[in-house]
Amino acid sequence: MTSSPLLVADDLDFAFGGRRVLDAVSLRLHRGEIVALLGPNGAGKSTLIRLLCGRLQPAAGRVRLDGRDPADSASARRRIGLVPQRIALYPHLTVGENLDVFARLAGLPGAAAAAAVAGALTTCDLASVAGTRCGRLSGGWQRRANIACGIVHGPELLILDEPTVGIDLPARRAIEQLLTRLAGDGMAVLMTSHDLDELGRICDRAAFLDGGRLVADGRPETLIRDRFGTRREWRVELADWPDEALVGRLEALGLEPEDPRAPLRWHGLAEALDLSALDALPAVEWRVRRPGLDALWRELFGQRPEVDEA
Amino acid sequence: MNEPRPSTGVLPMIATVFRVMLLGLWRDRGAMVMIFALPPLMFFVFAEVFSGTDGDSLQLRVQVHDRVGSPLTAALAEAMTADEQLAAVALPAGEPEPRRAVTSGEVDALIVIRAEPAADLGADLDAPAPIVVVSDAARGLAGPVVSARVQRLLQRQFTQLGVARAAALVDALAGPYTDAQRDDLAIALEELAAAPLADAASGASPDGLVVQETLNGVDPDRGGISYYAGAVAILFLLFSAMQGAISLIDERTSGIVDRLVATPGGYPTVVAGKALFLVGQGVVQVTLIFAFAGLFYGVDWLGRFGPWLLTATLASAAAAGLGLLTASLCRSRQQAQTASSFVVLILSAIGGSMVPRFMMPDWLRELGWLTPNAWAIEAWQGLLWRGASPAELVPAWAVLAAAAALTIGISLWRARRQVA
Repeated sequence: MTSSPLLVADDLDFAFGGRRVLDAVSLRLHRGEIVALLGPNGAGKSTLIRLLCGRLQPAAGRVRLDGRDPADSASARRRIGLVPQRIALYPHLTVGENLDVFARLAGLPGAAAAAAVAGALTTCDLASVAGTRCGRLSGGWQRRANIACGIVHGPELLILDEPTVGIDLPARRAIEQLLTRLAGDGMAVLMTSHDLDELGRICDRAAFLDGGRLVADGRPETLIRDRFGTRREWRVELADWPDEALVGRLEALGLEPEDPRAPLRWHGLAEALDLSALDALPAVEWRVRRPGLDALWRELFGQRPEVDEA
Repeated sequence: MNEPRPSTGVLPMIATVFRVMLLGLWRDRGAMVMIFALPPLMFFVFAEVFSGTDGDSLQLRVQVHDRVGSPLTAALAEAMTADEQLAAVALPAGEPEPRRAVTSGEVDALIVIRAEPAADLGADLDAPAPIVVVSDAARGLAGPVVSARVQRLLQRQFTQLGVARAAALVDALAGPYTDAQRDDLAIALEELAAAPLADAASGASPDGLVVQETLNGVDPDRGGISYYAGAVAILFLLFSAMQGAISLIDERTSGIVDRLVATPGGYPTVVAGKALFLVGQGVVQVTLIFAFAGLFYGVDWLGRFGPWLLTATLASAAAAGLGLLTASLCRSRQQAQTASSFVVLILSAIGGSMVPRFMMPDWLRELGWLTPNAWAIEAWQGLLWRGASPAELVPAWAVLAAAAALTIGISLWRARRQVA
């Protein structure tokens, strides 16, 4: 991105109850960019989002949205749309009524609110359920309405917390397309998710937080290339639990179990493996692929990402 | 993407929250029944059950006023102050009788010794009873109970008065007594005065010595009804405000509050909108109860609609504030439901929404002034029963307004803090 960033966060420090939650975190977001904010539970993602929204003041550092501090400027805050992880809608109101409520609460007067509602319904493909009460919608539609209420007032920065948690694949794909479309229209999108496949498909940048520190920030393919080089990710799925001898053979190939408690799936990173040795394993399947964000996550955090249940 | 558009003021946002609450209520038929149908029904039950009930062992506030000031009447007044059940407070002889204290509820009954009871055969049987028990019709039990206690005291400690009156009656009906009989009776009466018969069943009836006088308010026979209309109104105002305010917790836990942080008014706007809705809902609710009381029991609330409406608005605001404060202090819906039931039941029990406060012991009556119930009931009772002027209602209005301002203010302050 060559344009000046919409959001600038510099050297953010934050402590709570004597515990350092964020340590010199810096982040930039440009218009039209989708950035994934990643990290295990307790890494500081929620606190960082609160700082970016102006809900908290950093102990050190600064946040600027187009030059203004969201903590001090209501007009800066109005340029932010927030989509919480939970379905933050009034269940007894229809989709259209919810959009109208959030448009008006965002300060839009009557006619502008009506136009904004119509726009959000179109953008999020919600026109067919505009008259349905949110409490009666399926999870996928609710998620979409949740996003629509976050963009109805026309924000320039959209922050989403796990926007696709708990919904099926087609609904997830629809939301991915929606976010890509919003970014295409010039909105800056910052999102957290534990669905790394999804993020790998749509995000322009990934920022990894661990223990309150930003440990990696860049384009996913760059981060992956820098970390793994020409190595590939090898996976073996066994038909049955391995005996000691088989474990020895797998380890000799440089593989390790994905879950030591249920060692049926093994994986490893290597430029090449002995295919004949691999083929001789009692495996249901084995495959090789380029490492993705999930492999990077395991490298950085030594664990698989776990979804926070809403 | 769109440029941020000019924002409207806070009032339209408050109106938006009001609309959300209204639609929520409109689409929840169970809540509608609870808020608007149940209160008149409960009022009906209370009105029917309590307005005609009897009772005993009441700790009533009684004053005695000795208008005569003779040795006998002074002894009577002193006995009434010493009696454990009456426990009357003696008023100085020269002071005017504080009948206003009876109608205002400061005193449950006033005993007036207006003439010296005859202690010999010279009793004038046509003269009015020398002792009057003055009570208010709104507290229907107080008069009969105090009269009975005075009669029991006379029977036990001033037996000669009853006997003298009975003897005078016999003299009038079957007499005249012979001189010898008169002498014997005079001696017997002196002996009785020196050593009264402690046995209450002595047969010496003090009938004719004590009479009851009931003070009616501006709306005779409606005292109890207007009491219960106010008592039930504030009880349900509290219940409904608590239920309505719990939606604050739903908004916190669902993430709606997170979303609203980015709005110009922020979370406090939502709290203000809810407060406004709860006040409006409360006024409608109270209107229904009093309309019911007017329709079926003849309570004339429309006759003083202005002060009535102000009382309804302030009581609704105090209830709304208490509901919002409770919701803002609780972390979960479950916790809020438990806390609100506790708060409403305790305030209503102490404040007189369940049992009239005059039936309570002194310490509980005093404690009752810490509740909005007592002040709301006091205001409505003063207005509709005693015909109190607006100036007399100012203390109750001021307390309700202060309670509303304080609780809503703290709720708004907490709302600002809770968004961080």
